Amino acid sequence: MTAPAEASARDSGGGQTRGRLRLTGLRKSLGGREVVARIDLETEPGEFLTLLGPSGCGKTTTLSMVAGHLLPDSGTVEVDGRDLTTAPANRRSMGMVFQSYALFPHMSIADNVGFGLRMRKVAAPARKRKVTDALEMVGLDGMAERYPRQLSGGQQQRAALARALVVEPDLLLLDEPFSNLDAQLRVRLREEVVGLQRRIGTTTILVTHDQEEALAVSDRIAVLAEGRIAQLGTPETVYLRPATDFVAQFIGEVNVLAGRYAGGQDCQVTGGHLVAATVVGEQPSVGNPVRVYVRPEAVRIEAVRIEAGSAAGLPGSVTSTRFLGTRVRCVVATAAGQIEAMVPFDGSVPRLGEEVSCTWQSRHASLTSAAG
Amino acid sequence: MAVAARLPDQRGRLSARSPRRTGILLASPAIAVFALLFVAPLFTLVWNSFRTQQGALTLQNYIRFLGDPFYRDVLWHTLLIGVLTTSVCLVIGYPFALYLRGRSPTVRNYLSLVLLSPLLISMVIRAYGWLVVLGPNGPVAALLHAVGLPAPPMLYNDTAVIIGMVHVMLAYMVLPLMGSLDRIDPTLVPAAKGLGATGYTCFWRIIVPLSAPGMLAGSLIVFSLTVSSFVTPAILGGPTVKLMPYFVYTEATVSLDWPYAAAIGFILVLVTTVLMAGYARLLRGRTTKGTFA
Repeated sequence: MTAPAEASARDSGGGQTRGRLRLTGLRKSLGGREVVARIDLETEPGEFLTLLGPSGCGKTTTLSMVAGHLLPDSGTVEVDGRDLTTAPANRRSMGMVFQSYALFPHMSIADNVGFGLRMRKVAAPARKRKVTDALEMVGLDGMAERYPRQLSGGQQQRAALARALVVEPDLLLLDEPFSNLDAQLRVRLREEVVGLQRRIGTTTILVTHDQEEALAVSDRIAVLAEGRIAQLGTPETVYLRPATDFVAQFIGEVNVLAGRYAGGQDCQVTGGHLVAATVVGEQPSVGNPVRVYVRPEAVRIEAVRIEAGSAAGLPGSVTSTRFLGTRVRCVVATAAGQIEAMVPFDGSVPRLGEEVSCTWQSRHASLTSAAG
Repeated sequence: MAVAARLPDQRGRLSARSPRRTGILLASPAIAVFALLFVAPLFTLVWNSFRTQQGALTLQNYIRFLGDPFYRDVLWHTLLIGVLTTSVCLVIGYPFALYLRGRSPTVRNYLSLVLLSPLLISMVIRAYGWLVVLGPNGPVAALLHAVGLPAPPMLYNDTAVIIGMVHVMLAYMVLPLMGSLDRIDPTLVPAAKGLGATGYTCFWRIIVPLSAPGMLAGSLIVFSLTVSSFVTPAILGGPTVKLMPYFVYTEATVSLDWPYAAAIGFILVLVTTVLMAGYARLLRGRTTKGTFA
């Protein structure tokens, strides 16, 4: 079920050559349960890659193996061609931000940020300068002598980020770093972290269960389910062309259409109409059962009636509309089932009972084998 | 209507004012017991220690104690036993508490029970038990003979007293340590390792400073209970180990010099308090700038 790795859509981290992480056949059982079944993954230097999945999907376990806190049962962890699989955590060059931030409560912010430098035996004057720079970078200038408990959640998060980045690590690992913050602050800090990451170009692995966050920050997303990568791709790919039922359902709302493969990009759905979608995963044989996933945002509604059997759209009648300001949410009853569409408001709302045709571009929908 | 209108008002006032009142109410039995059975007797004790047996005010009791090398030696000896017992408890108890950290609740419960078991036996019986174990015909001596080693005298000396004290006091050291270790965020060590720290550095720079409150609490309890203990030193120390509580006892019951007994008691309380305050300062200053206060 693993989707082939696609090239990064954005040419991220311009000129960066350091920080290429390669995971090969990573596997780990904890307490008799196979938490990570098989992870194969390679990042581009400077890439922002997200491991996305529900709790228990193995994303944090995978990150722990990258960081060196857990030893894999099998498989390898490589950074820039160096095999680090069994290297202890303190011999890897990785900066990690924990969900709890894990700031040392008995040390000042300056001592926290300077801890990694001290461990690397950086002399005091250079250390002081680097700590000051790092604190300035995350907007915590003047907080150096405070203690973690005197800082707000957002400030603690920035301090943890400064501590992770000041050692100029090969990789930046973020374990649900935003989940303890309130919604507004979460979005703001998230944007700051992405901006910072683009500027310094450190390869970053983010672990999160928040699909919106993953879509907003990542160059690529690896959607994890039951210890495997269900799909790996750009946010656009993963969102618009989900490879599996799990990916489709986990990331937002989706219309699912059942039908039979009709060759090329076509699927003959229940009711006999042909709809177009991009084949994702293994190529189905003509006539085999397939599924089409299309997001409500990708569906267009046209008032023109079209001939049955043409691939241009799916006819039906509007059964419900809801005006949401900039958009209108419509439900269209078709022979293949109900289709939800999120259409931009352009001055009129489709009438109830109106005969319409639902269309979408084939690259905005995915077609996968229904077997299994 | 009038009733209905008053109810929310009463409720509102209750919830606004009651927490403080409820708090005082809840604490009052303990405060009463403490005041009646500790504060009042302590004042009486201090007051009595500044009087002669005839009732006149005097410093004579303190001058007598501090001016006599014999009594100064007793004080010194008592503090030494206290420091040694506390140190042994800390050295044995810390690794044990560290081991219990992160064990399953079942393992923790069983081992805590083992730890607390000495407290379930009467002090006198326990001390007599040690008398048998450490005696010249006891199992320890037999074992030493069996391997061809001469058995050193193990009874009626400092070693016997310290062994007997550690046996009971270990629980008082380990329990606060466990509490303090449990409060350490389990991600701190991985975080430190990720920043390049070795296991050794993690222990000395993260775990030890953050468990200092537990070390302090445990040491306070063990030290103050040890220097004021009577039964165990009396039985295991025999005629050679005579500590402060023994002299409080003999002055009060044999010599019937109550003011002098009071002075000895108060000197012990005072010295213990000063020592512990110094120890607390040392721990706070050295290791835990951010965790206290």
